[in-house]
Amino acid sequence: MSSESSKKRKPKVIRSDGAPAEGKRNRSDTEQEGKYYSEEAEVDLRDPGRDYELYKYTCQELQRLMAEIQDLKSRGGKDVAVEIEDRRIQSCVHFMTLKKLNRLAHIRLKKGRDQTHEAKQKVDAYHLQLQNLLYEVMHLQKEITKCLEFKSKHEEIDLVSLEEFYKEAPPDISKAEVTMGDPHQQTLARLDWELEQRKRLAEKYRECLSNKEKILKEIEVKKEYLSSLQPRLNSIMQASLPVQEYLFMPFDQAHKQYETARHLPPPLYVLFVQATAYGQACDKTLSVAIEGSVDEAKALFKPPEDSQDDESDSDAEEEQTTKRRRPTLGVQLDDKRKEMLKRHPLSVMLDLKCKDDSVLHLTFYYLMNLNIMTVKAKVTTATELITPISAGDLLSPDSVLSCLYPGDHGKKTPNPANQYQFDKVGILTLRDYVLDLGHPYLWVQKLGGLHFPKEQPQHTVIADHSLSASHMETTMKLLKTRVQSRLALHKQFASLEHGIVPVTSDCQYLFPAKVVSRLVKWVTIAHEDYMELHFTKDIVEAGLAGDTNLYYMALVERGTAKLQAAVVLNPGYSSIPPIFQLCLNWKGEKTNSNDDNIRAMESEVNVCYKELCGPRPSHQLLTNQLQRLCVLLDVYLETESHDDSVEGPKEFPQEKMCLRLFRGPSRMKPFKYNHPQGFFSHR
Amino acid sequence: MERAVPHAVPLGQMEVFQTLQRLHMTIFSQSVSPCGKFLAAGNNYGQIAVFSLSAALSSEAKEESKKPVVTFQAHDGPVYSMVSTDRHLLSAGDGEVKAWLWAEILKKGCKELWRRQPPYRTSLEVPEINALLLVPKENSLILAGGDCQLHAMDLETGAFTRALRGHTDYIHCLALRERSPEVLSGGEDGAVRLWDLRTAKEVQTIEVYKHEECSRPHNGRWIGCLATDSDWMVCGGGPALTLWHLRSSTPTTIFPMRAPQKHVTFYQDLILSAGQGRCVNQWQLSGELKAQVPGSSPGLLSLSLNQQPAAPECKVLTAAGNSCRVDVFTNLGYRAFSLSF
Repeated sequence: MSSESSKKRKPKVIRSDGAPAEGKRNRSDTEQEGKYYSEEAEVDLRDPGRDYELYKYTCQELQRLMAEIQDLKSRGGKDVAVEIEDRRIQSCVHFMTLKKLNRLAHIRLKKGRDQTHEAKQKVDAYHLQLQNLLYEVMHLQKEITKCLEFKSKHEEIDLVSLEEFYKEAPPDISKAEVTMGDPHQQTLARLDWELEQRKRLAEKYRECLSNKEKILKEIEVKKEYLSSLQPRLNSIMQASLPVQEYLFMPFDQAHKQYETARHLPPPLYVLFVQATAYGQACDKTLSVAIEGSVDEAKALFKPPEDSQDDESDSDAEEEQTTKRRRPTLGVQLDDKRKEMLKRHPLSVMLDLKCKDDSVLHLTFYYLMNLNIMTVKAKVTTATELITPISAGDLLSPDSVLSCLYPGDHGKKTPNPANQYQFDKVGILTLRDYVLDLGHPYLWVQKLGGLHFPKEQPQHTVIADHSLSASHMETTMKLLKTRVQSRLALHKQFASLEHGIVPVTSDCQYLFPAKVVSRLVKWVTIAHEDYMELHFTKDIVEAGLAGDTNLYYMALVERGTAKLQAAVVLNPGYSSIPPIFQLCLNWKGEKTNSNDDNIRAMESEVNVCYKELCGPRPSHQLLTNQLQRLCVLLDVYLETESHDDSVEGPKEFPQEKMCLRLFRGPSRMKPFKYNHPQGFFSHR
Repeated sequence: MERAVPHAVPLGQMEVFQTLQRLHMTIFSQSVSPCGKFLAAGNNYGQIAVFSLSAALSSEAKEESKKPVVTFQAHDGPVYSMVSTDRHLLSAGDGEVKAWLWAEILKKGCKELWRRQPPYRTSLEVPEINALLLVPKENSLILAGGDCQLHAMDLETGAFTRALRGHTDYIHCLALRERSPEVLSGGEDGAVRLWDLRTAKEVQTIEVYKHEECSRPHNGRWIGCLATDSDWMVCGGGPALTLWHLRSSTPTTIFPMRAPQKHVTFYQDLILSAGQGRCVNQWQLSGELKAQVPGSSPGLLSLSLNQQPAAPECKVLTAAGNSCRVDVFTNLGYRAFSLSF
């Protein structure tokens, strides 16, 4: 056994080429020198096939011996032990053979592996070399392609074309003889020329820069000079102000106005421009001014961040102050209403001066959220007016401009889009706020260039100069006529209240010299009262008695006869005549429904009013109508046929000269007065 | 009673003037065309308007059908009287009588065919012509009015053949007594005079105001309307509306109407009258009031019955007076609608 173990040699794994193999050879050399039994050498000598046969034979023998031992053991006996021993020894010998064979097999295996390993190593080495070489080849190929693809920067430069180059370049650069043949040289030459050119241009550029600097400096100097001039000019203008005033050429003032005008909202601006233009061109009695706070107007256009800051501040303040009491819904709504009806801080004032030195002051406002303009009017006269009782409404700011154009009563907003805005804040109509805000007449919108077509409400209505210009002249004329007719009426009313019909001398010819019937009363009556009168129903039904008119009651008397006249005065007096409705109380009540002659009297005053207009501007119409009424009453009473059955003389003897007393199927009285003959006839 | 007040329309000067004119308009006379389809009306401004009765009475009548087909200025003064011959419309007002062709009248810018002025005595004032009367048998026209005379004019020649004098005050109305032929005239002087056309003499005079039964002194004595039915005559005005028997010159029936009547006519077995007051009154010959049909004008001046055989569908009674409207009565019981100037 010990010899067996010493013979065992564990084969060492060869990890790499060469070196351990040498180590092993060294050992095997030393072993050979010691004359050791080298099993490795024996392996080379024996034949593996025969070893295999031996193995098989040994295995068979072992099996046979085991079987015999088995038999012997089972048989039993005395001889058995010796035979068993014999066979045991044989099997041991066989075992030893097997072991040797096993060792040999292992050694062979190891050898085989070693050889394979070596070969493999070699192959690997070659393989690596091959790989390296291939890699190098590839690398070199890449390099070659790179080199081939290399683009020189010089190709990116747009060189001047060949012909130009040869034309322009100086010969020492172009070197035609050399470069013509050799493209490389040609390119070099061209590059040279390019460089040359660039250098020259860089030179020029520097020169230009320096020039520019110089000029800039000069400009600076001049600017300073000019800016120093501005304050001097201002001081000259200031100094010239007294001279301007002296010469009545207020340029400075106009200039200031234009400055302020820049802050006006567009409609007011249009109005301002058109009114100033009109005033300068056509009408010297018109003067235009701007009132209001420019700072507030500027404040409206503050940038949003500022205003948000302001809002947050003010909110904080508000919270503090109103912590105790939350604002009620009504107050909030009220605020919203106020916000909606807010006016622009600037307003335009127009002053129209009339012939008799009375002035109509018009102040135009712009309601920003509603996009409409309103106007407030005031009439001032040269001398103080004592207002008669009945003339209260004539010049009141509320009604003096009512119905300047037919139907323009100024109580409703002309912008149809406003209705939706009103619904949101609970405003029913603008009428309630008109006293405060001014009247939004249609002509005011037109003067501001705002046009609200009735068919479709537009989202944004822009102020249009041409619209304003086309209406300016007519409106100014109408305004003047209106003021003058109202003032004339004012004076006339004062006289009428005293029972005197003021007939001017140039209208005297319309009436006979002697008029006996007298006006005893002249009062205003309310619209509702007029509608309640029984003899005014025709006028009411014809739609002539609206609420924009003024109503009066006149009483003419002669003897026992009393004639009541209800008068409708249209705001458009005197182009639209006053309308009279009569009721005579004398021997019964006679009105136009039961007496044809009363109807004829009304016709004389209402329909034939054109004769009574008098000289233009026909302010005498009303007084002439009243005087004619008195004359008509005279004629009526005097021509009444005498009732034979009643005793006594006629109450009114006939004094008027009449050709015929009755005419026509309706037996009309002679109401027409003929001048200068002085007699009465029929129409 | 609350009335719905019409909304006051914004009116310019022109519209106000036109409205006032219409409010103060009086229609004095009417005349039906020979075809029966048109009605002419004359007003106090001298205008004549021609309405199409057939259009207004048709089933598709709209508001425009009640407006005149054409309106033109015929005279300078009021058109007090109109009559129609079978081809012409004759209108008279301020002293002149003009003739218009019915065939041409519907065209715009129609001019009168001729105009004649009877020879007046006075030149200070041109007297009006209040009544026109056609005498078909003689083809003549009788005019009467402000100069207190009846003038007879021959329609063919246009010459004024006779002047009948007798009234002391201007003449209001005329009527023709076919049988004789005689013309009756009523005037401001309170008398109804009968004239024989052939002899040109006054045959009979009835001074109505002298009869106590019918006189009403507080109204005056003037005779405003006349109608005759051969033996009978009805007249009214200042005195009460009375039916007279002509041969005996006695008043037989007094119609109890307080308001003076301005137009009266015989119709079938009724007497229709209208005057001050809204209504057209229908009287039976016995003096009973059969019906009072209100019209739209506060006083009526003229009644016209369209009895033209050519247009039986337009057989209506039209009434006009102190307004710009002509009331149309399709049957005598109620007012159907009104035509309007």
